[in-house]
Amino acid sequence: MKLHSYLLRRLLLSIFVLVGLSIVIFIIARVVPGDPARMALGPRAPQFAVDALREEMHLDKPLVAQYYYWIKGVATGDLGRSLVTKRGVLEDIMEFLPATMELVMVSAIFVIVFSILFGALAARYKDKWVDSVIRIMAYTGVAVPSFVLAVLFVLIFGYLWPVIPALGRLSAGVQPPVSITGLLTIDSLLTGDFPVFWDALKHLFLPALALAIGPIFQEARIIRSAMTDNMGKDYVAAAVGYGIPNHIIMGKYLLKPSLIPAVSVMGLDIASLMGNAFLVEVIFNWPGISRYGMEAMLRKDLNAISAVIIVFGLIFVLVNILVDLIVAYLDPRIRLGGKL
Amino acid sequence: MKKWAKLRKKLVIPGVLAILVAMLLAGCGGGKTESQKGASDSQQSAREKIIRISEANVPNIDPGVGSDYASSIALANLYDTLVFPSHDGTLKPWLATGWKTSSDGLTWTFNLRHGVKFHNGDELTAEDVVFSMQRMLTLGEGYGYLFTGVVKEVKALDNYTVQFTLKKTFGPFLSTLVRLYILNKDQVMANIKPGPYGKMGDYGKDWLITNDAGSGPYMVKELKKQEHLYAVKFDQYWGGWDQDAPDAFKIIGTTAPSTIRTLMTRRELEITDQWQTKEALEALDRIPGVSVNAAFTGTILNIMLNTKKAPTDDVHFRKALAYAFDYDTVVDKLFPGCRKAKGPVSSVLPGFNPNLTPYERNLEKARAELAKSKYAGKLDEYPVELAWVAEVPDEEKIALLLQSNAAELGIKVNVVKVPWLSFVDQVAKPENTPNASIVFVSPHYSEAGSILESRYHSKSTGTWEQCEWLKNPGIDAAIEDAISTLDTNKRFEKYGAIQEKIVDLAPTIWAFDQAEKRAYQDEYVVWPAADLIKQGKPVTSVMGYMFYFHDFKVYPNKVPK
Repeated sequence: MKLHSYLLRRLLLSIFVLVGLSIVIFIIARVVPGDPARMALGPRAPQFAVDALREEMHLDKPLVAQYYYWIKGVATGDLGRSLVTKRGVLEDIMEFLPATMELVMVSAIFVIVFSILFGALAARYKDKWVDSVIRIMAYTGVAVPSFVLAVLFVLIFGYLWPVIPALGRLSAGVQPPVSITGLLTIDSLLTGDFPVFWDALKHLFLPALALAIGPIFQEARIIRSAMTDNMGKDYVAAAVGYGIPNHIIMGKYLLKPSLIPAVSVMGLDIASLMGNAFLVEVIFNWPGISRYGMEAMLRKDLNAISAVIIVFGLIFVLVNILVDLIVAYLDPRIRLGGKL
Repeated sequence: MKKWAKLRKKLVIPGVLAILVAMLLAGCGGGKTESQKGASDSQQSAREKIIRISEANVPNIDPGVGSDYASSIALANLYDTLVFPSHDGTLKPWLATGWKTSSDGLTWTFNLRHGVKFHNGDELTAEDVVFSMQRMLTLGEGYGYLFTGVVKEVKALDNYTVQFTLKKTFGPFLSTLVRLYILNKDQVMANIKPGPYGKMGDYGKDWLITNDAGSGPYMVKELKKQEHLYAVKFDQYWGGWDQDAPDAFKIIGTTAPSTIRTLMTRRELEITDQWQTKEALEALDRIPGVSVNAAFTGTILNIMLNTKKAPTDDVHFRKALAYAFDYDTVVDKLFPGCRKAKGPVSSVLPGFNPNLTPYERNLEKARAELAKSKYAGKLDEYPVELAWVAEVPDEEKIALLLQSNAAELGIKVNVVKVPWLSFVDQVAKPENTPNASIVFVSPHYSEAGSILESRYHSKSTGTWEQCEWLKNPGIDAAIEDAISTLDTNKRFEKYGAIQEKIVDLAPTIWAFDQAEKRAYQDEYVVWPAADLIKQGKPVTSVMGYMFYFHDFKVYPNKVPK
């Protein structure tokens, strides 16, 4: 199967996944107890106001009709109005998604760079002190949730040792750049505002690290395990026999095939960063979509809940496709359906 | 040479790790520069003479929509009202210089102050008052419920005279006017979009999400959802300015304890929210220059007893629980700084009856009441279901205390943690409402009638404000009679009588009068309400008005180093 037809097939399947997800989340959001209109307007709100809001949200209609109106809106880019922010959900998502994307992208870079580095180091120095140190760090990193790390980072770097900014996206008094992509680092680079770029980058460091530490060590362990397995293979013994230097065997012949299992998990982990970000965003006062989604769930903001889940679902689907493409690139047998 | 190569090989890995650790610790290389920057940020912002306060959310600044705490603070500072609540519970003329009432109490006529400017320079007139009330009545959101059942008509008699006609006599009408924020009609109308309100379009709702059309001491500079509201001083404010008054205020939408502690330490926050735990407040109190202020604003923690469900349907059973509850432990150990509640109305609210005999812990009386109950001897068959709201962890302490107190009488209490959304749904029907529910309730306006009506009138059953399902026609009639009494003294007398009746019915265990505790920077900020509390004086119980920043003072040169 050629790469483009493989990609097309995956994209078509993804549409079914997203439609299924939209139905599930639509039903789940509505079976949670409580009348969203009454919740939004309060116990003393006059009935006419509650009725008007119910009508506006189509809550006075059967569930199937509600889904019809909602999916029709989604298809035309109208995600409805948020009961919390009182404005269009699309507008909210456009504002909050870039902040989370920026955070997740920096976290993803940390995950990719450090997991490969730690995994390769641990495999290269298997059962030596380097391996032991990385193993201890891995157990700690995987066991401690990201929000605990976030609290520790804020207390240490915001309170005891303020060497790096611990709250928000920019320092007080720093004017954000003109919004082009919504990503402060990219926008500041595009507008040539390097001091703002530097400030935004520093603000990203701690929250991104808090999010990344768990996945870094999870992937590092997988890479280590795959590399040590491959070390015993005949082709490696042959390479050693030919006198190929160690660093070439490690980097060229061992690392690439050992990355396949890690890349599959890494893709899911990176997509999961979106969901894991909500507490980190609360703690670092980061105005992202995960925090917005959490607020929406606590206050039964139906339109916002549905939209956030769909956005997350879409990102999961796209990341999975990307991961499959990378794996297919790394291992031709996969994209060729085992025909080799 | 070989030795050196070996040594170099050995040093490679520790070297790489050391560089990584250094990178992790130093961030992207901020180092000292950032530290200095952090310090200069706080100093620079302090020089701005700004008050920054944390709240549970970023406010809704549309006067027809916002009604939570953050919104009430913002609206009190961005808009003006006809009357203004004094710290002693009385109302003083504000935009209205005077008013008169018809003998039947149905017509209220207000004379307006001349020369009041909106933030865009327009003059405030009676037409703006009419527009603001009509908008409130049409939207029915936010504080609109205070007026929708009361106000029949509003009209401008001339540029500076406005007249309200009521549907029925409503004694506390003046008190509710602290929630009628006056909008600039022309400015709003210039910004309407198509919407569901006929020729009024969306009534300016979309524009008012991030803009203000007020005449208050501050005007909106920036509103970022999920982040903050930033407002700056309106130089032409009719009330004038003290030279030390804040130039700006910022309401920051976060209550995360680690964030709050960091901001307070760096002097980047002047006042915290009221949701910090006891432990977090103790830590904040230890920061040099920070004090904790406790204000009583009319909120009571109630253990609401379902009077329509066995065994709490029996008045003697309810009284037994009320006598068994350990009120002293609550105020001494669980919630230090709070005080015992004497009845359904907080002692800070005008109309509170100081002559009530509150329930005190007395196991003998409790056992005597239990003996009179129809459930005496059958307690095993009637366990009490006690619900506390999952989002308010402090309530669990009260639940466990009541469970332990009731066990002394042989009453089995099953404690259940219920998420707020489920709780609201459960209490919609009497059969689903737990026997006992722990809920904080605040007054809607500063008078006993507000609490009596929202807590014990039959029309509030089915909402979280009344899980008692009292449904007592005598109480309903008495409340309606009281709030339709124009004469304040007579109205307060009637409130007093209702409170006595309710205490006798024991539909609720009034656990304590809540002290709203906030840490603040008392070295360089003068907060009038905190000063009044230090002097043992009352503060306003109208939500938001304790934070009328115009009257604050900020001294940047006193910011602790």
